[in-house]
Amino acid sequence: MKHIGKTLVACAGLLALTVGAASAQETIKLGISAPMSGAAAIWGLGMQWLAQEAAKSVNESGGVKVGGKSYRFEIVAYDNKYNAAEGTKVAQTLLNRDGIRYIIGSVGTAPVMALQSLSERKGALLFTTAWGASIKGPKFPLTFTEINTPAEVIPPLYGYVKQQHPDIKTVAILNPNDATGKETEVVSRRIWESLGVKVVASDWYERGTTEFQPIAAKMAGLKPDAIDLGTAPPGDSGVIFKEIKVLGWNGVKVVPAGTSAESMIKIGGDSVDGVYMGLSADFDGPQATEVQRRLNKGLRAAVGEPINIVQIGGYDAVMALKAGMEAANSLEPTAIAAVLPTIMFEVSYGKTTFGGKDTYGSPQHMLLPAIVSQVKSGKLIELQRAVPAELTRRLAGK
Amino acid sequence: METYVQLLLNSLQIGAVYVLFSLGLTLIFGVMRIVNFAHGEYFSLAALLIAVAVPWFVGLGAPLGVAFVVACVAALGAVLGLGKLMYDFGFRRFQRDMIGSFVLSIGFALLLQGVFIEVFTPASRKLPTLVSGNVHILGAGITLQRLVLCGVALLVAGAVYWSIVSTRLGTALRAVAEDHEAAMLQGIAYQRIAMIGFLIGTALAAVAGALLAPVAVISPTIGSAYLIKGFIAVVIGGLGSIPGAIVGSLLIAVIESVGGYYFDPSIATIAMFVIVMVVLLVRPAGIAGHA
Repeated sequence: MKHIGKTLVACAGLLALTVGAASAQETIKLGISAPMSGAAAIWGLGMQWLAQEAAKSVNESGGVKVGGKSYRFEIVAYDNKYNAAEGTKVAQTLLNRDGIRYIIGSVGTAPVMALQSLSERKGALLFTTAWGASIKGPKFPLTFTEINTPAEVIPPLYGYVKQQHPDIKTVAILNPNDATGKETEVVSRRIWESLGVKVVASDWYERGTTEFQPIAAKMAGLKPDAIDLGTAPPGDSGVIFKEIKVLGWNGVKVVPAGTSAESMIKIGGDSVDGVYMGLSADFDGPQATEVQRRLNKGLRAAVGEPINIVQIGGYDAVMALKAGMEAANSLEPTAIAAVLPTIMFEVSYGKTTFGGKDTYGSPQHMLLPAIVSQVKSGKLIELQRAVPAELTRRLAGK
Repeated sequence: METYVQLLLNSLQIGAVYVLFSLGLTLIFGVMRIVNFAHGEYFSLAALLIAVAVPWFVGLGAPLGVAFVVACVAALGAVLGLGKLMYDFGFRRFQRDMIGSFVLSIGFALLLQGVFIEVFTPASRKLPTLVSGNVHILGAGITLQRLVLCGVALLVAGAVYWSIVSTRLGTALRAVAEDHEAAMLQGIAYQRIAMIGFLIGTALAAVAGALLAPVAVISPTIGSAYLIKGFIAVVIGGLGSIPGAIVGSLLIAVIESVGGYYFDPSIATIAMFVIVMVVLLVRPAGIAGHA
């Protein structure tokens, strides 16, 4: 009996010490501004879950160690509804109300531009999956991209498509009428034309559109060799290809910013067979890393869909931030921003760093493999995962 | 020729749902003199319930068609229940109060959107195809499913129009819409007719949502897009006017279809707003409205 009593006292003491140690850790809040409703909701929901997984992993391994102290990460996410107006509200909430100094995930060029205008002024670090090149550069020293953007995605994707279908002579492009779509269209048009493909139409639609028959009729009526749906979200792409198929068009289909093949297949059915995608990876496939396979399984169980490239940026940014804080030995965003391009760190894809100075004027872009994939018989097949030359050089210590 | 037939078909299939939606909106305005900005939520709720219930019934072994019909009936009942609650605890107290009912309905819309996102999750849903196959009319293509749903929508709209024009209840609704005090002097039970009018309007939004569910990607915010289009349609047609709602709906469907084809969908949307402004400047009561 005496032994049991002693054991209980010892356990209680140990528990008290553990709890004491845990509560001694300060918490650092990390913000997310992403769509959590509407056609692009899956991006925000998945990003939030993956960022929480990254935070859990960091916390379980002892937290972030800066200046002899250990800190825990906590994720705070808000719905920016993929538009500038809501993006502004979320920016105010994150930066002014919650006082957050690290945004580890932000989706949508328009809402991110609204967020960036405040985050740079407030001295907060901003990691983003926004596609627009206009959010990067020396003017925005605290902004970092955590995803490949048009300059990294479009040239290899279109090049691959043209190589597979050398007979493509014309293309019709459709994009959402916002900053993401506008910036992508410029790059798309330039790359198609450089490959000798004539752009026969380039149209715009409003996000939230529910009736796609008119635009489907127009695109099918032009009889292009290829249709490029630019930055249309997976749900919209599925509906548009379905409507186009009804009208008898069956050419080459491309979605450069197509991130969730599963959502697109669920909605578009067999009409999306053959679609080439630039932002869709098979995170269960042989080219995926062990971490990605584990996270993919977890996300499937949590939200019913596999990981897409936009979402996984949330995980990778948390890992980059941890590495940056520890390397700078500071919680100061400017100090972390200064050190990030100089260090190598581990993300879900493996070892990487920030680069892209030649393209954007400053090294603010996370160097990630360029992936080309295709929907075949209702499944996504990864066709190519190319490590960027700059990362290969950095890994080799050059 | 093929292009024109395709544009006509597109206009009809888009317009059929707009007609049902805006008929409900204008009917409620007519009898109660309120603009119900929560009208889109009835549409969303019906579509969401069907998107959830159909796979569930199919999982229990019901054939897809039966599952859809049962889900539609259940969704209609649920939406009518919600409409009755909102009427009893809200709109009944704000009849003929444009500002009060505006604030109330916006509040209801925001509350319901939040509840739908919480309950149904924000993820988009898609029903399996109920009727497979395409048909070609004079070279223009349409899915058989859309053709059937468009036909049903036009039948329902026709039945509602006939009821309002030809039945005793319809006469009472029109009388109340025309002059509710004169209608009461004639022995028409205004409160009862207002409630019935409100519930018919609610049911029409639910039917529109149910008919669109098999062909659309359903999310908790789907009703908002239709509310804007429905509102534009009734403003063009004349708030409170049944023929006006039909004309307005078909007009915006044609603008959407033709504008989207010859220009792009964004320009078509701008054109709708320009037409609303022109109508409000030239004929503030709308095409078929009374001053």
